[in-house]
Amino acid sequence: MSRRAPEDVIAAVAARRLSLDLGPLDVCFLVALYVRGEGAQLASFTEVQLEDVFAQAAAAIEPGAEIKRRAAPAIQRLRDQRLLARVDGQGVVKAGEFALSRLATGIVEFFLEEDILTRESLSVLTASLTVAITSVLAAARIASDEGAWRDGVLGPLRITIGELVAGIERRQRGLDLQQEDFQAEIRRLLEADWFGAIERCQGLLESTSATLRELNDMLLRDASSLLSLLHDVEELALGAGADEAAGAAHRLMDQVDRIAAWGTARQRAWSEYFQYVHRYLRDVVRLDPTRALTQRLRDQLAGAGQRFALTHAAAAPIRILRTVAPVRTKPPVVRPRAAREREPVAESTEDPQAALDAKVQASIDGGAAALSTVTHDVTAELPGPERFIEAGRVAGTVARLARARSAIERPWVAVGEDLVIEDWAVTRDARGGSR
Amino acid sequence: MTRPGYAQLQDVLLDADFPDLDLALRGGRHVDRDDAAWYALLTDAQDHLEPFYRRYGAELIHKADGYFYLLPTGDKLSRRTLGAGEMLVGQALALLYLDPAAVERGGIVSVEDVVAQLVAVLGSDALIAEFNPKRKRHDERIAQKNVRSRVADAVRRLAGLGFVEAQDGEKLRLRASLLRFAEPVRGLSAPAEALAKLVAQGEVALADEAREGEEPRDEDGEDQGEGEGEDQGEGEDPDEEDAMPDIAPEPARSGAAPVVGPRVIERSDEDLDEFDAELGADDDLDDDGSPG
Repeated sequence: MSRRAPEDVIAAVAARRLSLDLGPLDVCFLVALYVRGEGAQLASFTEVQLEDVFAQAAAAIEPGAEIKRRAAPAIQRLRDQRLLARVDGQGVVKAGEFALSRLATGIVEFFLEEDILTRESLSVLTASLTVAITSVLAAARIASDEGAWRDGVLGPLRITIGELVAGIERRQRGLDLQQEDFQAEIRRLLEADWFGAIERCQGLLESTSATLRELNDMLLRDASSLLSLLHDVEELALGAGADEAAGAAHRLMDQVDRIAAWGTARQRAWSEYFQYVHRYLRDVVRLDPTRALTQRLRDQLAGAGQRFALTHAAAAPIRILRTVAPVRTKPPVVRPRAAREREPVAESTEDPQAALDAKVQASIDGGAAALSTVTHDVTAELPGPERFIEAGRVAGTVARLARARSAIERPWVAVGEDLVIEDWAVTRDARGGSR
Repeated sequence: MTRPGYAQLQDVLLDADFPDLDLALRGGRHVDRDDAAWYALLTDAQDHLEPFYRRYGAELIHKADGYFYLLPTGDKLSRRTLGAGEMLVGQALALLYLDPAAVERGGIVSVEDVVAQLVAVLGSDALIAEFNPKRKRHDERIAQKNVRSRVADAVRRLAGLGFVEAQDGEKLRLRASLLRFAEPVRGLSAPAEALAKLVAQGEVALADEAREGEEPRDEDGEDQGEGEGEDQGEGEDPDEEDAMPDIAPEPARSGAAPVVGPRVIERSDEDLDEFDAELGADDDLDDDGSPG
């Protein structure tokens, strides 16, 4: 499977005008369906069950609201957005059965599952990955035909190993969300209990830092061994001409690289945040246990007390002088003066038209039977641009000196390499040449 | 980051970072821990640089909050006082620095946050009046636009002085030196008393409220942001001083005893070390980039 260009994917999605519009009630309805399905081992829901679950979800969101009439549009809304699929295929024959689509399941799982990367989960996942890639490598070494590459290498790379790597990435995103929650938690703690929050903030900072440090160490260590194994698989696939397997291995290597880079980037970002909060706790919270400074500063900004302005150094930057070049005096702009009267010049008395007439007549007398032939004879020695101009004069002269005939559709005939003309048949005038 | 110690002043002056740092300090830059190389140089060479700058009539101030700056105390080095708009914006930024909401974002705020903070404290009408002091009647839309423009100008100038760090887009990273704006209200003493002490030390100048905020304008009524504040010292334009005398003259400090940075809240290094030890962290990162 070749990887599609991002712009193609975006264009395809844009052309389909995809969108999702889910309110709290819709999400709650989906979650309720998911939970009911899991609890009762239901593969699908009847319409009655759907309405029953909707009533339960609506009662949780809006207690006391009239529910019955709103179930139908809510179900239709989910159907329109392909979150709820009809699975019985009976149409209007009987009441339908419905199941949550993969999209709906993904949405619900996002809100319900707490997949967060921990030392334990990462350890299990990387160990599983190592085992899986090692077995794929062994299969690649003995694969002799296309079927063996497909079943023993490509399939496991795409499904088993791809799922494991995606699992690590999903848990990384979970940890990202958890870090955001921690940052919000630090804010809430400080707002709720300014001075008393120091220890708990300190605990959050320390635990997250330790977790990130451990994860980063593990990722850096394990990523190199995983990359080495995948590289061997890719080399074998390329050697055997199994391009699809090589491509799959390469994509997995990119994913593993990304996973390792995530660890380093998150640790650096958290380190900066750690430093900032640490200084804040030390310089602001600890020195202002009653949080009076904020109020006093607010009063000062609002105009209490005498106004003041901070003083600071303001030395001008060093001036680096330009090299001075003498100014060149430019003469004033004037129109060039020329003599009004020109001296007489001797001009040739030869008539160019008479010379052309003679050349055309000589060509016709020489047996030329077409305008193209005459034009070629007369203009052969002229340079390109002049030939074009001269060809027109030749045509006029031929029409005057000989009898020209042409069909309604005159053929285009090349004269030399750079000139094409509409051709005429030319015959000498019956009166002996010129008219 | 470790640096070799500096045996004598010459070693400091020969440091590759010194020329840029020196120019920045003389230009009014506040240097804090985020300027890692400069801050380390100043910390290591503080004993040499304090007497060095004192010869130029300036004090190298090191605040316990973790930043350095140069404070002119004589006439050899030019000094400037922040304009009324810059002071308003600086105090709003300091309030944001103290706000736990900014801590959640790692000290990153936007210019809109600054305007919102000013509106929250002063109110819209007062804020517009502060930034449009000469106009008795004004178009609301233009006045609001003018406020936003003036706040952005002030933020840009404060960023040049190291109070904030401009990030991508309109984001700003708040820095510890913003606490200078809160100095008069940080101590246990009454604000007026603390302010008088800061004035005596040359840290601040009192504003003449009657003429405060007067700034040149163009014909459209848009204020000209540049030129706010007052320059004092060598090379200044006497006409310019006449045009913007909103700051009271400083007391002459030539020959005065060297000024030590104000310690409104006294803290010892032992206190800070103890706190660091409690938190289990150091300001410097480990070799692998991890804290502590």
